[in-house]
Amino acid sequence: MTGAAGIDLVGADQAPLLARPYYLGGDPGPIVAALAHVPELLEVALPFIGVALGPSAMEARAKELAIVRTSALLGCRYCVETHTPVARDAGLAAEEVRALRGEAGLEDVFADPGERALLAWVDALALGRGPLAAELREAVAARFGTPFLVELTILVGATMMLNRFCTALDLPTSPETRHRLEAEGLGWP
Amino acid sequence: MAVTALAEAIDAGAISPRLWLYSNYHCNLACTYCLTESAPHVARRELDGERMVELAAEAQELGFTALGVTGGEPFLRPDMPELLGRLASVLPVVCLSNGTVFTEARLDRLHALAGLPVQLQVSLDRPEPDANDAMRGADNFHKVVDAIPRLVGRGIAVRVATTLGGPVDEAEMARLCELHRSLGVGDEDHVVRPIVARGRAATAGLGVAAGAAELEPELTITADGAFWSPFGPTVVDDRLDTDLLVTRTTRPLTTPAAALLRLVQGRPPGDDARLGIR
Repeated sequence: MTGAAGIDLVGADQAPLLARPYYLGGDPGPIVAALAHVPELLEVALPFIGVALGPSAMEARAKELAIVRTSALLGCRYCVETHTPVARDAGLAAEEVRALRGEAGLEDVFADPGERALLAWVDALALGRGPLAAELREAVAARFGTPFLVELTILVGATMMLNRFCTALDLPTSPETRHRLEAEGLGWP
Repeated sequence: MAVTALAEAIDAGAISPRLWLYSNYHCNLACTYCLTESAPHVARRELDGERMVELAAEAQELGFTALGVTGGEPFLRPDMPELLGRLASVLPVVCLSNGTVFTEARLDRLHALAGLPVQLQVSLDRPEPDANDAMRGADNFHKVVDAIPRLVGRGIAVRVATTLGGPVDEAEMARLCELHRSLGVGDEDHVVRPIVARGRAATAGLGVAAGAAELEPELTITADGAFWSPFGPTVVDDRLDTDLLVTRTTRPLTTPAAALLRLVQGRPPGDDARLGIR
């Protein structure tokens, strides 16, 4: 096990049998190393997370808009810090990332009506309780189609699950990511 | 998981037909090579007795044909004699014991097991007291040598397990075999296996390395989850090893059984357990 988190993280020497494939490439990261405590959960959660947050029909830029925005709204330091470089690699400008993180106004940075509709849906999902406004849902569906709306909604839900998981267990951001954030002036307080 | 898939794997010898149950982790002894760092005051990690009986029934339905009960010292549990009887009404049982806790009162309670498919596997490592007790504790030899014939005399099937810390000394083994025969245990009921380098043995630098590649897949249920082998749920520095953990879920038994089957089916052909440790 390794430390520096709110729980012991499972190291490669103690990786359960079902978790071992995730350690073959080296350090699998704290989410895997935490889920490895319950390997039967890991082996179903990781493929889901991989599809929900990883490459899919939805383009990477749209995914990272949703992930960074959701993570910032839920105050997940680990997810914001880890996905800021991913978002930058997906083509988001530094000022766009800052706006998603609440450091600037969204409306000042995002002019595209489709992205505004997307972000309005993300904000409603992440912050709301109970039924959501039909016009927000219809705006996304009209612009991107129903499959996109479904995938976006699952993406925000999966991100919220990870936001709470990573925050509750105080998972640590990797030193490499922190160095990059500092180098790009994108550290998150 | 289709029930037949596991039964077929058991029939084919890919998975052991025996389901192991770790009844508890505490023990009256503190052997130098103990896999589980068992001792009198460690965390007990007990499996609930009713759950053990349920597991036996689930195991029988899935195609397992035998049960194993181990610890810790199972007979430190007050309910153990009766529990073995209930388990044996479902499937044949072998129960591992250090053989040092068989007072007359406990032997009287074991009497009900006579004639049932229950075998007690008692540890006896060396043919002389000093050598035996160096690893297992003071007066262990005399207690075991006293208990075995009294168990046999009450109709309890006994086998002797010898754990070796090094190469076989043929002369010493001959003396040990002469001893177990004299106690009423035949050669067919004498098991010899190496110390496995896990738990307290690993800490002391004893034994042979044993991971999933070396150990036969024998589904093993503990209070902490299901493991690849009874050599899996070991303890080092009071921390449970998880490298041979299969699932945390043990109810229903189909969950860990299906996971074990997937792991076995994912092995390269011919990658069978190499040590054959029992």
